Amino acid sequence: MNPQAGAGAIIVGAQLGAGHDGSADLIVSLRYEDGQVARVTLDTEAGLRLMRNCGATHFAELTGHSWRGILEGMTCSI
Amino acid sequence: MFDLIIKGGSVVDGSGQAAYHADVGINAGVITAIGALGTDARAVVDATDRVVAPGFIDPHTHFDVQLLWDGAARPAIEHGITTVVPGNCSLSLAPLKAADRRALVGMFQQIEELPPAAFTDAFEWSWETFGGYVDALQRKLALNVAPLVGHSVIRLWVMGDAAQQRSANPAEIVAMQRLLRECLDAGAVGLSTSFVDVDERLHPVPSRYAYRAELDGLAQVLGEYGRMLQVVPEFYATDLTIARIDQLAELSLKYHIPTTFSPLFDSAATPDNVPRTMARVEEQFARGARVWPQVQTRPIDISFSFERPSLFFARFPSWYRVMRLPRDERIAALGDAANVERMVNETGADGGRAFLGSLRVRGGEGAPDDLVGRTLADIADARGETAARCLINVSLEHDLLVPFLAANVGHQDASRVGPLLAHPLVHIGASDGGAHVTSFSTYGDTGFLFSRYVRQTGHLSLEQAVKKITADTAKIWGLKNRGSIKQGHAADVVVFDAQRIDRGEEHAVFDMPGRGMRYVRDSVGVDTVVVNGTIAYRDAAYTGSSTGIVCT
Repeated sequence: MNPQAGAGAIIVGAQLGAGHDGSADLIVSLRYEDGQVARVTLDTEAGLRLMRNCGATHFAELTGHSWRGILEGMTCSI
Repeated sequence: MFDLIIKGGSVVDGSGQAAYHADVGINAGVITAIGALGTDARAVVDATDRVVAPGFIDPHTHFDVQLLWDGAARPAIEHGITTVVPGNCSLSLAPLKAADRRALVGMFQQIEELPPAAFTDAFEWSWETFGGYVDALQRKLALNVAPLVGHSVIRLWVMGDAAQQRSANPAEIVAMQRLLRECLDAGAVGLSTSFVDVDERLHPVPSRYAYRAELDGLAQVLGEYGRMLQVVPEFYATDLTIARIDQLAELSLKYHIPTTFSPLFDSAATPDNVPRTMARVEEQFARGARVWPQVQTRPIDISFSFERPSLFFARFPSWYRVMRLPRDERIAALGDAANVERMVNETGADGGRAFLGSLRVRGGEGAPDDLVGRTLADIADARGETAARCLINVSLEHDLLVPFLAANVGHQDASRVGPLLAHPLVHIGASDGGAHVTSFSTYGDTGFLFSRYVRQTGHLSLEQAVKKITADTAKIWGLKNRGSIKQGHAADVVVFDAQRIDRGEEHAVFDMPGRGMRYVRDSVGVDTVVVNGTIAYRDAAYTGSSTGIVCT
């Protein structure tokens, strides 16, 4: 688990998705502090940046990281 | 005497009622008679054993630029499309000051993927106003165009560089309202806006800097005309999409306007997206709001090459690490025997056959002719390699440029997509015709509707499917006298074989300005297409007609 866990919502899963623009997307499942789980779809740019920010080379390695990594990833593309 | 009789066909008139046998008589571009009409006409189209339907209307395209050198929006017409709506997603080519052209071209290139020559060599920028653009368009249109005006360009006109820096002040909002009125008076059928799109620098497009008061002010003007607001919501998160549906519903109710949003698509990875979104759409329609979700018919494919990093490989760490390397190091890593061994082993005991074997080599830049269209499993067998090793070697042999396609990865489950398309509140559209041209083909969605969801799965009857993409579309958009085989309506007609109509295989062509590449699909089973009473396409050939108009 990542030490960032506990800082708000955390990533509890990630998988490949088909992007509207024909690219591979990253679909991330987030669990919020109230226990609710929701998904957010990241395009290639944002997904690659999230993977890099988390030091991940596999979807599974994103688990336990803070949602803030997503926010940083999204900044570049949307 | 008629100008044209379409004789002996099965008329599917767009109303949804059962098909009936009749001739369709046309004079001066208008349907003037339906029944047993004889042959007293200047031209007769034999429609025996064929369906005679209203021309299809494509409500979500980006043909803004292409229409300036290709008034047929090829290959849209050959798929039975007689009216297109360009100007979606906040971007149109007018109103646009000469000084702002460069900025807009960057935004268009990001979305449409057109080559630079498309903006420099293929047409002359002869306009600044929306009316000027309409004049430029109308010089040689083979199909009808119902153009939206983009929120981003309205902002750009009024605010200049500040359009991509801040919200508008009250005086600027008033100026935008005035400009929108001018556009609507000049032929715009509504306003498009986006909460998602980016320019070529990956900066948000101008419409994304608008506060609610600005969109409210523009919707107020749309209300004066009863015109459409088209929106790209934050479709990457269901909760945000639902929030936008609520916002659109309030604008629809407040100003009595139709609104539409797209994309909305189904995916096994996000199974609750469509059910939750549609539940809120139904709720808002029950309140009297009009918030039409646009849904595409075609499945979503994923494409990639080794030229650029792709998340497609984020299940295989050693592959992913290689894909993220600088190009020279990537090539070296793919040529390193020990590293390749590790990569191949990671794809499983079958050498990646299960996961990679169904990938296909696409046509296009860098694609070797002898491999195009073949599966990786087929190529690997012929070369005596595992699928994973074959993928690496083929890429290396062609400078990493070989494009691969993983087909039908999203929006492909007919048991979920079929009922969605048949839903009475779903607006079939979102083709994106003319956009993403180097990524995938945006043509043939109408043929696919019939082949997959009428003939194969039966989720829609022939009559329902025709209604969905003709009369329903005209009604949703308020297009007058179009979308029906009906006396007094514009003679936009498609004659097709109900047993054959389909989309052809995707292939690459180099017909963009400057020999730019794009992916297209040819039509299957469409015999004749008539636009405003004149044959525009027949026997697999364009006639060179120019009877299309800018219609409202």
